[in-house]
Amino acid sequence: MIALAVFFIVAVLAIAGAFTLLFHKHPVVASLGMACATLSIGAAYVMLHVPFLGLFQAIVYAGAVMVIVLYVIMALGGEESGPKVGRIQIVLACAAAVLFFAQVFRVTLETGASVFGAAPQGYGSIQSFGDLLVNTYSVPFEIASLLLVGAMVGAVVLSRRKWE
Amino acid sequence: MITLGHYLVLAAFLFAVGLMGALTRKSAIIVFLSVELMLNSVNVVFLALSRYFGTLDGAVFVFFVMAVSAAEAAVGVAIVVAFIRRNGTTNIDAANLMKW
Repeated sequence: MIALAVFFIVAVLAIAGAFTLLFHKHPVVASLGMACATLSIGAAYVMLHVPFLGLFQAIVYAGAVMVIVLYVIMALGGEESGPKVGRIQIVLACAAAVLFFAQVFRVTLETGASVFGAAPQGYGSIQSFGDLLVNTYSVPFEIASLLLVGAMVGAVVLSRRKWE
Repeated sequence: MITLGHYLVLAAFLFAVGLMGALTRKSAIIVFLSVELMLNSVNVVFLALSRYFGTLDGAVFVFFVMAVSAAEAAVGVAIVVAFIRRNGTTNIDAANLMKW
């Protein structure tokens, strides 16, 4: 029962943050809503017995990404300007979102309640995760490091002053 | 009792909200954050199903999604900064160079 209550608190916080991101006009408040949503999602990771990924979530998203985005807003401003979004665009986007959610909801209802079994021994520990990462998935791990180096070089190249 | 469906429905809802944000907001920064929200909601599905099947492979995938999304954040913010410098606005309607 307590777990269910905690889940609903986390879910409400995540959804409130997401709605703040979706509806608030001011970019700083919208970004803080996104930070609230990412922290709540990290709490959901902890509830799914993978606590270190919840920590990564807090460090990477609520820490790094949010600080960079807030810094950009502070330095350059991010207010919306110009004409409003067309009504047809809003209606089509709503239809896409509602149809997607309704389909997932229907499938979930049809499959019935799938209760989680007991977690296996050592599930979610750093040891088992690291074992999987450097044995089974070692090649993707190396490719991810190459990707990060490429992204770093790309960010440096993109931020040169040659656009003026 | 929390079931798999709770997590799946929560993730689908967050994905739908992120989708609407990406399609209807006009500030490039907000669109970028909406895409990040969609990535995050997919991570919830990965971890819920990983827990359901009792293997940690989904957690490894979440790790890789985080690496990709950190790379995306670095490049995306650089693109947004270059875009604001060039156009003087964050309005994504100003990005019409390849539109016909």
